Amino acid sequence: MRRGTVFALSVLALVAFGLAAWAGGERVLRITFAWPTYIDPAVGSDFSSSSAFVNLYDTLVYPDVNGDPQPHVATHWEVSEDGTVWTFYLRDDVYFHDGTPLTAEDVKFSMDRITTIGEGYGFLFVDRVEGTEVVDDYTVRFYLKEPFGPFLTTLYRLYIVNKDLVEANIKRPGPYGEWGDYGKEFLLTHDAGSGPYMVKEFRVEEELVMVKNPNYWLPIPEEAPDEVRFIGTTEPATIRTMMARRELEISDQWQPQEAWKALDAMEGVDITSFFPGTSFYLMLHTRKPPTDDIHFRRAMAWAFDYETVVRDIFPGSIQSRGPVAQSLPGHDPTVFQFHRDLDKAREELRKSKYYDQLDQIEVEFHWIAEVPDEEKVALLFMANMAEIGINVKVVKVPWMSVVEEMANMKTSPNIVSIFVAPHYPEAGSILESRYHSSSAPTWEQNEWLLDETFDKMLEDALATVDREERFRKYAELQHYIMDLCPSLFLFDQVEKHAYQAAYIDWPAARGEVIPVMGYNMAARFIKVYPEKREALLKGG
Amino acid sequence: MGILRFLAKRLLFSVFVLFGLSILIFLISRVLPGDPVRMALGPRAPEWAVQNLREQMHLDKPLPVQYYYWLVGALHGDLGQSLFTRRAVIDDIKEFLPATMELALFAGVIMAIFGILFGAIAGRYNNTWVDNVVRVFSYIGVVTPSFVFAILFLLLFGYLLGWFPTAGRLSPWVPRPPVITGMVTVDALLTGNWGALGDALWHMVLPAVALALGGMAQEARITRATISDNLKKDYIASAKGFGVPERLVMLKYLLKPSLIPTVSILGLDFASLLGNAFLVELIFNWPGFSRYGINAMLRKDLNAIAAVVMVLGVVFVTVNIIVDLVVAWLDPRIRLGAERGK
Repeated sequence: MRRGTVFALSVLALVAFGLAAWAGGERVLRITFAWPTYIDPAVGSDFSSSSAFVNLYDTLVYPDVNGDPQPHVATHWEVSEDGTVWTFYLRDDVYFHDGTPLTAEDVKFSMDRITTIGEGYGFLFVDRVEGTEVVDDYTVRFYLKEPFGPFLTTLYRLYIVNKDLVEANIKRPGPYGEWGDYGKEFLLTHDAGSGPYMVKEFRVEEELVMVKNPNYWLPIPEEAPDEVRFIGTTEPATIRTMMARRELEISDQWQPQEAWKALDAMEGVDITSFFPGTSFYLMLHTRKPPTDDIHFRRAMAWAFDYETVVRDIFPGSIQSRGPVAQSLPGHDPTVFQFHRDLDKAREELRKSKYYDQLDQIEVEFHWIAEVPDEEKVALLFMANMAEIGINVKVVKVPWMSVVEEMANMKTSPNIVSIFVAPHYPEAGSILESRYHSSSAPTWEQNEWLLDETFDKMLEDALATVDREERFRKYAELQHYIMDLCPSLFLFDQVEKHAYQAAYIDWPAARGEVIPVMGYNMAARFIKVYPEKREALLKGG
Repeated sequence: MGILRFLAKRLLFSVFVLFGLSILIFLISRVLPGDPVRMALGPRAPEWAVQNLREQMHLDKPLPVQYYYWLVGALHGDLGQSLFTRRAVIDDIKEFLPATMELALFAGVIMAIFGILFGAIAGRYNNTWVDNVVRVFSYIGVVTPSFVFAILFLLLFGYLLGWFPTAGRLSPWVPRPPVITGMVTVDALLTGNWGALGDALWHMVLPAVALALGGMAQEARITRATISDNLKKDYIASAKGFGVPERLVMLKYLLKPSLIPTVSILGLDFASLLGNAFLVELIFNWPGFSRYGINAMLRKDLNAIAAVVMVLGVVFVTVNIIVDLVVAWLDPRIRLGAERGK
């Protein structure tokens, strides 16, 4: 019995000592994420994977707070007059984590790899990049199939991998012919990057541990974390407890409203909000009665109560102004915005060809079962429409069924409520995925717009290399869409995070938000002060 | 000999059960709506990439052919690739199953020891204040889901009092013992890493107790009821009449036969823990098999779903056989019946 007590006390002492030694003195940054996290740049494309990439890998260009590309591994670049040949000149002082220099061969290998695998962010390049040429050790050239103006911004997603390291770890045979598995198995748990952080440990579905790269080619502030941990949980009670015990520095964005309130009330913890460019739409089927009638659609747009949504259902968000989120580069702030006006709604409804059959018509509204708050929007919509005599049938549908039914024009419902995020930080991305004919059979478009004029205008805009000119064309497209009223543009989603304001300095929380998913989680810009943490713990 | 025949019969029967289960789960997982490959690769992945993966997973083939590929692979220890962890499902199982096994074993030990202990005390002193106290706590334990206990413990002992860690299997500063069984406590014990052992046990207290309480209350209720019944039987009165010491009557003549229903339920409760630990694993960020299984279902990760269900099936079947053997040992009538070939 006595021996047992001694053992227990020894263990407790060891644990207490370890806790004091580790957490007290180390600069650790812990962030929670919704798993899965992929650290292979040719596989992942979600929030946690994108956040891992910016820490582990380098890119040719890097976005600034306006989303504009700035030199990074590439010091400068040139583009041919027809916009199809892009030449990049690389720095010669960038080294991978194993010490090998980063050269044009690695850039070509990275592009070839992601376009061959076709997963993750591969879709940004697959149909656009014809080939990649190594001009010399530090010059690389991309040949595009056709001019593509936002090419530079898509390069935020070309993370450069170490060719030699990946080649040495290829498993053969594999699905990619002579390339075997293209190193996918290796890169599942290892990195092959040159970024400011390196993988120390990766436990699938549990935790990604990264440590500072001591030989990074750019200066990293001393106060930047020595260790970064991505923890795979979003459970509110766990997050709350970890924040209170100062075992978590930044929370994930998936907490319920009551959790935000509780976190905000904690000493030293603040909630920061920014707009990542994601919008919430009610997608109206423009080829199916009665939502095929433009006056019917406009009547619904006038009758809906947008204010209640942003005030009570999704607090912190802002009403959308057109199809492009207001934070997304290329948004036109002059675009028309609907507001609730029942007189105008009735006026539009009277112009509709379905006006005389309202009592026989039912509009089917599908909301995603996995997002409970969407039901509130659906019910509000039903109540609003009832005021002007439109019958709405609200249906709760699991996400996978929604994806399936939206793949076919006949099975797509009248209305689906969905969040859509841009694939690269420009208006063109969202306009393409939401309204271009090529995206009609995907879950990103229920409208089935199939408008040739729009398609041509968009293709022309995307082919425009000059940024100013391209943005002007995006503006025209936004007005064009508003005239057709194919959707109800409800709100721009707010991304919230609780963070330890008392002992970390996070540029995004200070308003220096980079409008590209994942880039605000670049740990080299975040400063951690362990002594303030200790003081907070003692004070608490 | 009789026991061996009994065992052989049960094993043969189990093979049929597992075969049936494999067909059932294979069909159910494949008729769920949605294209799992498209879900995994995202809406913008080019169609050829989606098609490549479909072909790699034989999803472009008719269902019977898919099942054939799956069965042949499974018999060779290859359960296919997970669409979400992007590695062999067998590797996922090797990583996640020991974590839940470890948790379930500790919860099972707590359940067995305290459930039987409290049940025995309540049964021995039935209709006294001791019995009433145990009964009230048992009712609370039975009706409260384990995730409620988990949240309560997390907030009380993790958040307010700060006595126990709130997430994971080991503290970040404690080096992981080399993987032998995958169960951190066992590996730490085998390698003599006392620091890691203590830390792992410290992490296990809250989730294991939260998981155990429901079953423990159940076991206590069953043990109490059986002991109360047996206490009124003639053979106990005879033993007491012959002057057999109270302690001997309690342990040998009363407790042993009273444990038969408890052991049967205990076995099922233990096996259920593997599948039902999901919320507790989620709350304590425990990288376990149950959480993996639920995620597989939500993501329609076909191979992972089939593997999880099959593993749970194997565990249930194995536990049931063990329970039958233990019950046969406890109850001579069953043992002798088996030996006579009945």
